[in-house]
This record gives sequence, C-alpha cells and structure tokens, in this order.
Amino acid sequence: MPKITINGQEVEVEEGSTVIEAYKKLDENIAHYCWHPGLSIAGVCRLCMVEVEGHPRLQIACNTTVQDGMVVNNNSEKVRDTVKWGLDFHLINHPLDCPICDQAGECGLQEQYMEYGKYDPEMAERKVKKRKVVDLGPTVVLDSERCILCSRCVRFTEEVTETNELGIFNRGDRSEIGTFKDKPLDNKYSLNTVDICPVGALTSKDFRFRQRVWYLKEADTICTGCSTGCSVKVYYNEEGAWRVKPRHNPDINGYWMCDEGRDVYKFVNKDVRLLTGLQRKDGQNQELPSVDAAKLAGTVVRDELEKDKNGVALVMTGQFTVEETQSLVGTFAGDLGCKQVYHWINNEDSFDSFDGLLLRGDRNPNTKGLEKVLNDQAINNTWADLKQKLESGAIKTLVVAAPENPSLFPDLDEKIALFSKVQNLVWLSAAKNEALDGLNTNVWQVPLKTFIEKSGTYVNFQGKEQPVKAVTTIIEDALTLTEVAGLLKGSDVNVTDEAQKMTSLKYNYFTQKRGNL
Amino acid sequence: MITETKLLSEHYDNPEFKGIEGYKKLGGYKVLGDALKMDKQKIIDEVKASGLRGRGGAGFPTGVKWGFLPKNDETRYLLCNADEGEPGTFKDRKMMERAPHQLIEGMIISAFAINSPKSYIYIRGEYDSCIEACEKAIEEAYKAGYLGKNILGSGFDHDMDVYRGAGAYICGEETGMISSLEGKKGQPKLKPPFPAVQGYLGKPTIVNNVETLAAVKYIIRDGADAYRKHGTEKSAGTKLFSVSGNVQDPKTVEVPLGMPLMDLIELCGGLKPGRKLKAVIPGGSSAPVLNVEDCAKAKMDYESLAELGSMLGSGAVIIIDDSNCMVDILATIMHFYHHESCGQCTPCREGTGWLNKIVHSIAKGDGRLQDIDLITKVAEHMMGRTICALSDAAALPATSFVSKFRDEFEFFVREGRSKVKGGLNA
Repeated sequence: MPKITINGQEVEVEEGSTVIEAYKKLDENIAHYCWHPGLSIAGVCRLCMVEVEGHPRLQIACNTTVQDGMVVNNNSEKVRDTVKWGLDFHLINHPLDCPICDQAGECGLQEQYMEYGKYDPEMAERKVKKRKVVDLGPTVVLDSERCILCSRCVRFTEEVTETNELGIFNRGDRSEIGTFKDKPLDNKYSLNTVDICPVGALTSKDFRFRQRVWYLKEADTICTGCSTGCSVKVYYNEEGAWRVKPRHNPDINGYWMCDEGRDVYKFVNKDVRLLTGLQRKDGQNQELPSVDAAKLAGTVVRDELEKDKNGVALVMTGQFTVEETQSLVGTFAGDLGCKQVYHWINNEDSFDSFDGLLLRGDRNPNTKGLEKVLNDQAINNTWADLKQKLESGAIKTLVVAAPENPSLFPDLDEKIALFSKVQNLVWLSAAKNEALDGLNTNVWQVPLKTFIEKSGTYVNFQGKEQPVKAVTTIIEDALTLTEVAGLLKGSDVNVTDEAQKMTSLKYNYFTQKRGNL
Repeated sequence: MITETKLLSEHYDNPEFKGIEGYKKLGGYKVLGDALKMDKQKIIDEVKASGLRGRGGAGFPTGVKWGFLPKNDETRYLLCNADEGEPGTFKDRKMMERAPHQLIEGMIISAFAINSPKSYIYIRGEYDSCIEACEKAIEEAYKAGYLGKNILGSGFDHDMDVYRGAGAYICGEETGMISSLEGKKGQPKLKPPFPAVQGYLGKPTIVNNVETLAAVKYIIRDGADAYRKHGTEKSAGTKLFSVSGNVQDPKTVEVPLGMPLMDLIELCGGLKPGRKLKAVIPGGSSAPVLNVEDCAKAKMDYESLAELGSMLGSGAVIIIDDSNCMVDILATIMHFYHHESCGQCTPCREGTGWLNKIVHSIAKGDGRLQDIDLITKVAEHMMGRTICALSDAAALPATSFVSKFRDEFEFFVREGRSKVKGGLNA
C-alpha cells in the first residue's frame, strides 16, 4: 500500500486512492464542495487544492491519485491564498441572505469563510440575478442564486437513482440547476439532494423554515421505516423531532436513505401520539395513567386465562426491539402459559419486494428479530388460525402490540375490524388511534415509547443486529413493551425514563453572546 | 520582397482544387496510395521527425501525441478539430472551403498511421460553407474508393463523417469537443484520463486540428527532412496565419515559422496611411498582447513568442493601430470569454463574469482606480486553476492589456473617457 505524507503526517492508503481520501483518512481539514465520497469526481469547485512536492502547479486533491512517497500539503501560504480566492469566486454572486437561509449553521460556505475568509469583499459589481423559489418537485425547492453549481445533485440523480431529472442549464455564470419539461424531481430518494447540497440552494419542503439548525440537537439512531434499517441521525429539540438524515454506513445504506424513511420522525411527535392510558368499558371512555391502564389490562388477561386457557391471544408486529419482543412473547409463552402468539404481517403482497436501492417491502425494523423469538419459543401459528378463532369467538381477549407508525400498515382498519370481534382488546401502541374509541368491545390502550425514546436492538433484513440508544423523551407517560410485559403479568415495575427529557437550548452561544462580528 | 511559402495553400486560388477531379489532376490522393503501402510506425516516425506541432493553438508535437495511444487492438478514433472558434482565426475555414480533399487525404493517412477505423470532422455550426464542402468531398472520396472498405486494395477500412457543432467556443477544446460529439453538453472533461487513453465513447482518441492533419500529407509526400527545411529548428514547417485588424489587406497567408512579425504585416499590405502600430495580438484573442517594442522583436514561431510572454496560438494575428482604445478592445474580449465560459469550474465561471463587469465598468466611465489592480488580481487567480484552458485564455489578455497599456486604463478611470477616442466629456 502506498504511503503519503500529508501536512507532515505519514499515512498509508489503499492502492488507487485519491489524495482527498487520504486527507479524510487522517481527518485533516480540506475544503471541498463538489467532491462527495458517494459520487463520481467532478473536479469543478477547485477548492481542494494541494501542493504536491515536485509539481510547480497546485493540484486538486480529488482527482490526484496517491503515489508512494508523495509529499502533500494544504497549509502553505500559496495553497491558503488559492483556497481563499476559490472561496471568493464562489461568494461573489452568492446572496448575503444567511439570516433567512435554512442552510445557515450547517453551510459549506459559512464554514470555509470562517476558515479562509474574514476579509472585506472586493466585488463592487452587481450580482447575477437568477430564479428564486423554484419548485423542483414534491419534496425539494431550489434557490438558484444560492447555488454554487457543484453538480452533486445532478450526479446523484445520474449515478445513484439513475433517474436523471436534474441538469445544469445555460452556460457560464448564467448556469442554473433545473429540471426538464414535465419531469419534476420526483423519486423515492430525492431528499438526498438536499443533504448533499453544500449550500442553501436545495431545501426540503418538509423542513424549510421550521427550525434553525443550531437550536436542534442531533443523535445517532437507525431508521425504523423498513427492514433495511439505515443508519440515521435524528434532529430534535424539546418540542420533538424535526428531521432525519442518513449517516454513513458502508454495510447497509452507504451515504443515502429514502424519502419515506425521513418521515419516521413524524410519528414520534406529540400530535400523533397516544398521550395517556385509556380504558373503554361498557361504552365509556376514561383516561388514566399508563401504568394503571396496563395493570388493569393485566388483571383482565390473567382472569380470562384462568377461565379459558385458549381464550387469550397475543398479536406481535416486527416494530419493536428484540429485548421488548423477547420480554412480551416470553411473558405470554412462559409466565402466562399462553402460546397463542401471532405475527401480524402488514403488507403480504409486497412484503418481499425491494426497490433495488434501499427501500424494502417489509416495513418493519425487526421482523428478523421477531421471527427468531417466535422460533426460540417454538411458536408457529398461522394468521388463518387466528382469524378462524376470532371469527368463531374462541378467542375472547386479545393483546395487540400495535404499530408505532400506522401509516405503514395499510391494513390497519381491516385488522381492527377483525380484532374487535373479541370482548377485551388490549392495544399497546405509541400511536393515537381514534377508530378504537367507538368499538363495542372493552378496550385498554397503553401508550408506548417510540424508537427514539428507548434503547434496544433491531435485526435488519440481513440479520444484522443494530443496537440503538435512547435519544430523548417525548411522552413521559409512555412505557416500553418490556415494562408493559411486567405489568401484564402482575409484577411491580419501576418505570424509569432512560433518556433525559430535553430542555430548551436556551444557553445557545449565539443568543447569549454578541460575537465579534 | 517578402513572399509566402505555399504548401497547403498552393492551389487555394484554383477553383478546380475543390472538386475531386481537379484535386486528383493536381496530384491529389497520390500520397495516400504511397502511404497505404508504408509501415504504420514509419508514418508516425516520419511525423515525429518532421517536428510538426499542433496548429490549433497548444502547439503540442503531433507525432508524440499519436505515440500516447495504447499499443493494443482497442478501437480508436481520429477527430478533426474544425471548430475554429478563437476570435481572429479563419485559416481552417479557407482550407475547408477551397481544399477539402487535402484535409480528407491528410486525415486518411493519419487514421491509417494510428489504425483508426472511424474519424469525424467536427465543424463549428456557423461554418455552413465548410460543412457543405466537406460533406460533398467525403461523398466524392467514398465514390472514388478513398473511403470505405479496403481502401485502394490495402485492406485498410476507414469511415469518415462530418459532425456539426452548435457554435460553442468551448467545443474547440478537445475534451469539450468529445463531450459534444458524444451528445452531451459541450463541457471539457477532467484529465486524467487523457483522450489518447480514454476519449470519445471511452475509447482512445486523437484530436488534431485541420491544418495539422492536412500538413501530414505534405510531410509524407516530401519527407520529414524537406518539411524541416521550412521554419526554425524547434518550430518546423510552414504555418497559415489569419491576419486581421488594421492592415490594408487582411487575409490568410502561409509563411515559414519564424518570420518576423513586421514582415508579416508588410506581407498583408502594411498599415493604413497615417496610422501607427500600437499593439498586436499574435495568436488569437487569448494570446497576451504585444506592444510596439515587442512587435519589433517578435518572430512568428512558438519559442520567440513565448519568450515575449505571449504565444503563437492558432496563428490569428490581430493588428491594432493607434486609432483603437485598448480598454474598449479588452471589454470586447472579456465579453467574449464571459459568454463562452462553460460554467463548470468556479474560478472561470465567476472570474470571467467578474472581469467582464469590471472592464465594462471602466469602459463606461464608472471605474475606480483599484479596479485596475483588481483585474490583475482576479485574472491571476483564474490561471491554472481549472479543468481546461479557457480560464487562462480569459486571464492572459486581461493581465497583459493592463500591464502594457496601464496608462489608457488609468486615463479612463480618472477622466471617465477614452484616451484615444475621447467620449462624452471630451
């Protein structure tokens, strides 16, 4: 493997690597806009300039292949001056609208300006006027004046999605990103273009104008939108989660994630959540603390089991962590001696489908984990069996570990109609479900925590175990399935909150101190 | 008496030379027959030995370029760069209009030498007459058996086509031309890989100028030594110069490389009576301008002009007399490069626009004194920073105009009017 010296440090890199990859390996600072590790090399921003010993001209690090013994630096006066000018060329026609720009706080131009800039601009001419607020499609808005034409988004639609919606139109400093006639940017991965846009040119319709990024905290977790289990970052504050972005994971999702996966944050927020325990008995609805609701449900389940060992069943979905699944299935099959556990597959027709990139038909993060738990317990019940027993009235009490994200369960209403044939329905779910409020059945609803509020493990379609940590707490009263399992069997459970409820970031540097602007 | 040395342009004035019959009568396609009997490597060696350098602008040795092709059986392409776009250049146009078969013969010989089964002549969109002439000549060559399968019984197959550009300057850059030919937006490609290794459709490709390919015929006809008798040691052969601007008889002339610039001006009738020489752009609008002192020393070959800080380029010699305002001329040049920058690389995309605006501000009388130094600063930071040479092509005239005619720029800023032409406040 060739060795290269970068800013005085020696590093060994793989044969055929580029100099910029060597910089990344060393975690050395290098400015760049057009280069992205998941895309082809464009070599157009001309910012990743390096001085290679023995070369009179500066080279771009992104298109220079490492050769053994190469000595490279990007901290000499010559390079810094070049980068400063390279940055200035990017800025001369860039609008000074940071205060109203969504990218502010995570903008490549701001970052490099702090590193190389802090000078008085020499540009005294009028800036080029271009289109503002261009609707590129259902998810993305373009501001052409902010665009630095790095071509990352164009290359993304060419190389990753191969949908080719975007192009650069016109020439010179009149160049603009755009879509072709009647062909909007409308693919399942379109929002990746917003992530890779180094400036505020492409913004997400979902996120724009909703939060300033420096008031958001970020934490690592995985996407629970399908069985791929992409590595993601979730951005949140005390009000809830605001957006999800992909995190690099070479084994699973590379640099990308799908647009549907980005919506997972929406079902953790208060407006769609079940906030307290609910009891519906004899047509009367009553709110009560979740622990009490679970305890009451537990009493019913245990009483019914005593009356008829076959009168109770549990329906599981692949939506919960391995630990939770083990604990609830274990409680039923072991402690309560009830082996009538069924696996609810939400979309049988498309369950095994795959879009070729990331999105899978199995919209559950832990189907593999659930299957293993059922296997370990030697449970092998068919859905037809459950259906028959529900319709015949053989099962009178049903516990359902219901989906966190109901929008991924197109058969939800149909299933609720089926489940409501029982006398007692125990509904464990993070999501609010108004259909349950009018049933002619006794219903106990217990609010659950969502994936960002609890720690645990998910097993993706590859069988890869992915542990996640609790990020924040949104509904304080919500329980984990493990806690519910304990309460159902009648144990005393000490309910704790793992994640600290986030308080406001009121001591933000920017709001508390006037900087040297 | 200063005279031309005519190799390529010998029969330009004979209208018969355009058609295949007239061309054959004057010795056409004889060299092709001889060449097809030669060893391919021998042809390449002969071209190398002749010292022929690319006539399109860069002046890269042609034989060396051919030598970069991989030594394998991969399909390779020969592209003729007839996208003559450098302001001031019109030599290729004349050749295609008056002697298209001479180009085609040179191309077939070159294609044979590099073993290419297919070639294209990429002609700029505005050159209707050239496109017509070349298409007709190719058709004639096919009918006469000089193109197609088994040319003259040699076993060598070759097809040739004309590809019409849309008039973008950047498509004259070899990788920009390849992009355009591939049906993509005409934008230069990142190098490496170089076209000789990975060019048109990802295959090894040689791109040569019209004049270069036509010259190959004469090198094979007369031999490298005879060709070297013309010109200087390092700049061998004759060169077509497009002389324009303030001379009495602007035209294309063919002279040996190394001719003094002042002789070239005389060959074109000299200046108009009463005018004095002020400056010369010796190699197309991207070449740094020469002032009168430079002009007296200048010889028209690659090395002498490089010594003076300029370049031979495509041989477009623009003569500027004392009736012209240099600020005006630079404003026109900057407008051109701003219009033609493809917009890929930031320093060029933004720099050409910035320079254009600054120079126009000065030319409108709105300039500030610091703008003059700013032109140099911006231009210096555009040089050597981009994928292709367009950025340098815009920067070089800017720096040279400002450094050599600073007084005119300063006058314009101070007085708000041209030092030469006067103006509103004059």
